[in-house]
Amino acid sequence: MTAALLEVEGISKSFPGVRALHEVQFSLHSGEVLVLVGENGAGKSTLMKILSGIYQRDTGSIRVDGQEVEIPGPAAAQALGISIIHQEMNLMPDLSVAQNIYIGREPRKGPFLDERGLNRKAQQLLDDLGIKLDAKQRVGDLTVAKQQMVEIAKALSFDARVLIMDEPTSALTDTEVETLIGLIESLKAKGTGIVYISHRMEELKRLADRVTVLRDGEYIGTLERDEIDVPTIIEMMVGRHLDEGARPKASEHLRDEVVLRVTGLSTRQLLRDVSFELHRGEILGFAGLMGAGRTETARAIIGADPRSAGTIEVNGKQVSIKQPADAVRHGIGYLSEDRKRLGLMLEQSVTFNTALASMGTFTGPLGVVQQGKARTTAERYVKDLRTRTPSTEQVVKLLSGGNQQKVVIAKWLARDCDILIFDEPTRGIDVGAKEEIYRLLQKLAAEGKSIIVISSELPEVLRLAHRIVVMANGRVTGTLANEDASQAKIMEFATHLVADEQGAA
Amino acid sequence: MRFSKRTALVAGAATFALALAGCSGGGAPATSGEPEAGGDGETLQIALVSKGFQHQFWQAVRTGAEEAAEELGVEVTFEGPAAETEIDAQLQMLQAAIDRGPDAIGYAALDPQACIPLYEAAESAGIPIVEFDAGCESEYGQNLAATDSMAAGALAAQNMAELIGGEGQVGIVGHSQINSTGVERRDGFVEEIEANYPDIEIVDIQYGDGDHLRSADIAKAMIAAHPDLVGLYGTNEGSAIGIVNAVTELGLPAGELTIVGFDSGAAQVDAIRNGVMAGAITQDPIGIGRTVVENAVAAINGEELDDFTDTGSYWYDAENLEDPEIAAVLYE
Amino acid sequence: MSQTTQSPADAPSDEAVAKERGARAALWRKGLQQGLAFGTLVVLLLFFSIASNNFFTWSNISGILLATAVIGILALGTTFVITTGGIDLSIGTGMTLAAVMTGIVAVNLGLPLIFGVLAGIATGALMGLINGINVAYLKLPPFIATLAMMMVAQGLALVISGVRPIYFSGVPGFKDIALGTLIPSLPNAVLIMFILAAVAYFLLSKTVFGRYTVAIGSNEEATRLSGVNTNRWLVTIYTVAGVFTGIAGVVLAARLDSAQPQLGVGYELQAIAAVIIGGTSLLGGRGSIVGTLIGALIMSVLINGLRIMSIQTEWQNVVVGVVIAIAVFADSLRNRRGL
Repeated sequence: MTAALLEVEGISKSFPGVRALHEVQFSLHSGEVLVLVGENGAGKSTLMKILSGIYQRDTGSIRVDGQEVEIPGPAAAQALGISIIHQEMNLMPDLSVAQNIYIGREPRKGPFLDERGLNRKAQQLLDDLGIKLDAKQRVGDLTVAKQQMVEIAKALSFDARVLIMDEPTSALTDTEVETLIGLIESLKAKGTGIVYISHRMEELKRLADRVTVLRDGEYIGTLERDEIDVPTIIEMMVGRHLDEGARPKASEHLRDEVVLRVTGLSTRQLLRDVSFELHRGEILGFAGLMGAGRTETARAIIGADPRSAGTIEVNGKQVSIKQPADAVRHGIGYLSEDRKRLGLMLEQSVTFNTALASMGTFTGPLGVVQQGKARTTAERYVKDLRTRTPSTEQVVKLLSGGNQQKVVIAKWLARDCDILIFDEPTRGIDVGAKEEIYRLLQKLAAEGKSIIVISSELPEVLRLAHRIVVMANGRVTGTLANEDASQAKIMEFATHLVADEQGAA
Repeated sequence: MRFSKRTALVAGAATFALALAGCSGGGAPATSGEPEAGGDGETLQIALVSKGFQHQFWQAVRTGAEEAAEELGVEVTFEGPAAETEIDAQLQMLQAAIDRGPDAIGYAALDPQACIPLYEAAESAGIPIVEFDAGCESEYGQNLAATDSMAAGALAAQNMAELIGGEGQVGIVGHSQINSTGVERRDGFVEEIEANYPDIEIVDIQYGDGDHLRSADIAKAMIAAHPDLVGLYGTNEGSAIGIVNAVTELGLPAGELTIVGFDSGAAQVDAIRNGVMAGAITQDPIGIGRTVVENAVAAINGEELDDFTDTGSYWYDAENLEDPEIAAVLYE
Repeated sequence: MSQTTQSPADAPSDEAVAKERGARAALWRKGLQQGLAFGTLVVLLLFFSIASNNFFTWSNISGILLATAVIGILALGTTFVITTGGIDLSIGTGMTLAAVMTGIVAVNLGLPLIFGVLAGIATGALMGLINGINVAYLKLPPFIATLAMMMVAQGLALVISGVRPIYFSGVPGFKDIALGTLIPSLPNAVLIMFILAAVAYFLLSKTVFGRYTVAIGSNEEATRLSGVNTNRWLVTIYTVAGVFTGIAGVVLAARLDSAQPQLGVGYELQAIAAVIIGGTSLLGGRGSIVGTLIGALIMSVLINGLRIMSIQTEWQNVVVGVVIAIAVFADSLRNRRGL
């Protein structure tokens, strides 16, 4: 057998106080897809950052075509033909698609940029890849999914021999995922080696030639194509058995007490006559395609965006919510999909974040913050929610995605919110932690909280929600009881093929 | 690694600073008189807290003070804030001067009221205060050695009126609508015109903070707005130079517009010599500096002082520029 | 109804709506950025022309242009820095230090004028270089780094000049740099400003330098991960801004035919205001040279017009302040719409 395209061996990396990677290995051959899985905090991102030259390894070796190499910086990685699509969007919103793709490698005419050549080249690349985008469009005006496609085009533009994709499909719709998988197939045919990080087991089954599993910074094992089996992989990842498939029933919860009733909610931009009810102890799922208006509904309810019509009743009484502070006063907490930007102060501690929304509770006479009381509360929620953090004084930035989400939840629980709106609660969170978040939401609902879950992942909605509200084009196109719902049925409503609106089942 | 990089940079910056300083014409020393004079009984210490030090005027005051200090065998320190708006910085300087415990303090108040508590502090410390240029509304301060600015403004008005033949439109480019010299030089001028020259109209008064560039732009706008304008009065050096620059930039023939300035300085003296400016009022900053030091020594010796010493203001133009008594009060 | 449930993204309305909305947002933003500033300028010109017969004369217009030159040149340079999401507070006093250095070399040392001019520009570049190193490598926040430089420059200008103005009366031809007329009845200072605006325009929109300026302001980390040496470019950007500061210093000294060491404080804020009025975002990622030029003209037209109308100085400040607030509000409107 010829030398592997990319081979890493015995890689270890420590940060002050944390061992991120310990003796990790994998190898990648040309023309194959290696899927790398592991819970958040398992060390995948650190490994990727070492390969892309952002971090330097402590020990171990990296070989490309059998030759040992050093990767001191991003430029060196590119020179070796290693390209990375990062999990976080790494685009310049103010530049065009073409300008983003060829940043750092602009074609020039003398001292000036060759803008026309740049656009031609980028358009050619997009067309070749089958990505339907105008190279001259400004990236900031694109949807998240389209931005993701730009990222992919950019990574592929390097004529990369090794392409590392870190959760490339987390924001894509099903068709776009198909497009991406098509892309990957054609790249494989050309001999590109692909390291694919994903939490979606369906994709894993379709794509993987081999699967390498990491856990807690250690190498657990590699499965060859014929050994790949989802339950085995999940067990390797989390070291315990998971019960998927358990779906709640609408009839299970108390259904009489309506805690939130939204009637005729409209906004100038998108929403038209959105109405629904949320019952005590219920998890209400919101499904729909990107741009259907789910997040917009949540924002309009909490007063983050102006409403043009509609009423909101909390516990049977009509309330006036003009700004998020009003919503919080009425016990409605909104957990944004963009945790890092809108949900957390990343540079601050767990305690700081937990106490942030309810400072009144932790403020003594003269406005002095009662640090001890805040810490006690934070510690309680760390225990309740099983947040994995060395201490409540840990800076939130250093926690994994799932644990960050728990801190956000703690923040709203501390504020005594009875109605919690979760927008994509498990985005960027790995399978094991997802299940934990699901159980947590169910526990909260069982304790009497009322929960709205906005999710783009249909299995997630089916796994969690008692009832499901489906939206399309700013309207509610259907409301289904869980036992009446299926992925196909939800998609019908989401693509607006079923016009009649069903009432609460 | 990082540390050494930073160190290198700091070193580099310091080198840069030194290299630039090396080009300097040499900063004037902040103190004068006998250095290291030792004990209190030997040499009298006088701390002067001025309204500024960058401006030519204050440098001339300082020159006068240092001359007097030399003659009287006392030691003076001279300091002032960077801009005449920095009332707070000046008060801190006064506070520091009181804390140092000199034998007397000479003070030119930027704000007549803010200084009152510090005067009380000086009184309890037993340090006499004599005032120059502008006084503080406290009983404790002794003798104000200053130009009578109202009289100086009126003197400017009389000369302007004479030069334009007692009629026509004039404008004023002021340097401040707040501080007392700006207000009084303007009011002295305005009141004199209103009282004695009914055919002269003051069509506009604007303020350029004594900034040469801004004053020039203001003067140009005034000339554009009032085509019949015959005269412009600038209430300090920067304002007057601004007017001169405006006229030069517009290419108006020298003397077509009658410009009356205030204070001296090389540029203003040049403008008067070549006829662009008709003339200007000068104070006697060197005299102010001398007087305040003399008064300070007198106050230390317990002598009784008058409330006010008018150090005088003089009209000068191309005719009398070279007269010894005028040349003596002009500064470059 | 008979369609299959697959291919959701082909649902035509969804796609079309999003696209249309994006296009509308882009148009709205562009309209505001270019149109608002230019419209304001035209409205101001019309208003003052009607309000005063003496406003729209060539002599006054040329006066306005000349009054714009120094602030305009400073604003052009600092547009780059602000586009990166940074700020440069050292341009006002830095300009003064450059003017003083020109005077030291051309007057005190008596070297040929060209060396004086080069010394002024080099001084500006050197300050920009130090600002850039402090921001890029020492990771000082731009506000702090340039605030420090502002004070250093102010102090050095006083020290080096011996707290005295330096007069260029003995240097023939120096004044012509600002006040000569290569193009009849257009002062050279204005010509220099327009030439520099053209240079800045090409730099920002046609060169790699400009591309990285926008990229860094848009997402510095992403730019770095793309293999661009962002630190080196930041240093370059601040240095280029410093060159503009140096040129502004030379033009200022030429116009006053002297280097006034106490001048300069407050000029940086006027220049920054001009940049913001022109539609460059303080958050970075969006810069417009044409906008900056228009912004600088708006400032000086406004001030000149109010002076022509003999409005009290105090009220002039109020009006200018309100205009800046409106401009920044428009900026925030843009950011609310865009992403």
